[in-house]
Amino acid sequence: MAAGTTAPARVEERGGSILSAASLIGPATFIVAAGLLIPIAILFRYSLNKFVPRLLMVEAFTFENYVKFFTDAYYIGVFLTTVQVALACTVICLVLGFPLAYVLARTRTRFKNVLVMLVVLPLFVGNAVRAAGWMTLFGSKGIISVGLMGIGITSEPTEIMFTTSAVIIGIIAVNLPFMVLTLQSVIESIDRSVEEAAFSMGAGPWHMFWRVLWPLALPGIAAGVILTFILGMNAYATPVLLGGPEFKMMAPLVFGQMQLGNWPFGAAVSFILMITTLVLTMIAGFRLQKRYRR
Amino acid sequence: MMGGIDRRTIGRWALTGTAALTLFYILMPLISVTWLSFYAQEIPSFPPQGYSLRWYASIVGNERFVSGLLLSVQLGVSATAIGLAVGVPAALCLSRFRFPGREALNNLLLLPLMVPGVVLGTALYVFHVEAEIATGGEFQILGSTVGLLSGHVLVVIPWVVRLVLASLAGFDRTLEEAAHNLGADRWTTFRRITLPGILPGVVAGAMFGFVASFGNLEMSLFLVGPGRTTLPIAILQYLEWKIDPSIAAVSVVQIVLIGAAMLMTDRFVKISRVV
Repeated sequence: MAAGTTAPARVEERGGSILSAASLIGPATFIVAAGLLIPIAILFRYSLNKFVPRLLMVEAFTFENYVKFFTDAYYIGVFLTTVQVALACTVICLVLGFPLAYVLARTRTRFKNVLVMLVVLPLFVGNAVRAAGWMTLFGSKGIISVGLMGIGITSEPTEIMFTTSAVIIGIIAVNLPFMVLTLQSVIESIDRSVEEAAFSMGAGPWHMFWRVLWPLALPGIAAGVILTFILGMNAYATPVLLGGPEFKMMAPLVFGQMQLGNWPFGAAVSFILMITTLVLTMIAGFRLQKRYRR
Repeated sequence: MMGGIDRRTIGRWALTGTAALTLFYILMPLISVTWLSFYAQEIPSFPPQGYSLRWYASIVGNERFVSGLLLSVQLGVSATAIGLAVGVPAALCLSRFRFPGREALNNLLLLPLMVPGVVLGTALYVFHVEAEIATGGEFQILGSTVGLLSGHVLVVIPWVVRLVLASLAGFDRTLEEAAHNLGADRWTTFRRITLPGILPGVVAGAMFGFVASFGNLEMSLFLVGPGRTTLPIAILQYLEWKIDPSIAAVSVVQIVLIGAAMLMTDRFVKISRVV
């Protein structure tokens, strides 16, 4: 905004140009740096403090919060559950998402925009609302349980709520749109004629997929896998609502610890969550990149 | 050869079938919550004993959801306005100037999108605690609207920067030079040439930013004050207690609002081209 009122247009002095560049990007940079980097630095500092019941937080310089996390079977369990759930969801999202992404990318109907909006709408509606939808279906008097008894597959009500399956089903639905949209954009960038070429040389659809489409789409697949994995690791509303009080993943654990007033430990768990996500993401990205180059 | 054609037909059907199932899967929670909102009885047992609209009527009298909705809309609108005011110039700078550290700045502005919501919430929470200590406790920041808004601005900025940048990449700069040569100053050039050219990106950035702010749950959980919650938090807290048609009706209101926002944006810029 300020940039428009600085130096007249045709005077392209170097100094003026740097000044206007700075005034254009300065405010946004300030907000993100002050509003995000500083808080994260403080959070890290908190994670090195000590928690003393009654006094809450005592200033210190110790790694005991991190040690506590990785030596306690309970917390290790929470950590492993989170990684397993995120991995399972990511794999299923890829398998289910690819066909839909392909159809969206290749369709020539005028309904394409409507179809894309149907994928985007749930994404925007938010996790709590979608969890409400699953809660309706999963209850012991919900449609799935009643339906299964109606067909005669089960004689007792099926309790899906508060199980790991419920959480996984919920997170997959949350993450699928991200996977589908990422894959769709990469498939759109692949020329349709390479597929036709494979078919005309006698390749079956399965063969064409593995030998042509998959390698060409690999960068997009990597992006989609990484994105869904991150989202799975950090899921909050879905495990809280569909997993119930006993089921714990990392994000709800952070919130719980902060609410209990154990800020140092909550901060440490936040950091473990963030770093694990980053490291696993980087490993996945690196491996896929290496395969792609070959 | 015949076999090949058959396999292709079968493959096509299998593909379309799986795609349809996946789409249904994605939409299922929205369908079922909408269905529940019309149940006549309060207990969500299937099959329903009848249908009724009374749960929609009851929303109006529910102070918690109405105030949550108002707060969410206020936050979304103000955060989007601020996000546009700082994000559009930042995107312009990133696309027009070449300087050392440009890539790093670009990444910094997209960072709020990469940091997990819970981590963002925890970090802002301790930041607000420290800020209150630093100011001697004179200003209440924790749980204040200003604190909440500053978090929401953070969430909006990456969307604006990303989508406006994408728009700028396809913008023909010779138009600006032509305007310059005809004597237009920078501000006029921006207003009359650049802005109309990148409008789709600006609209998309505003819409995505608004929706990201409106639907934000994890970060906001740490920042809301006692008794004042946003709509998604009000919904979450109710669901932790129970599910019934009245919360389903509230959910449908949120679905309809967001659907309407999407349809409005779609008039300016095709959603399928910006996502």
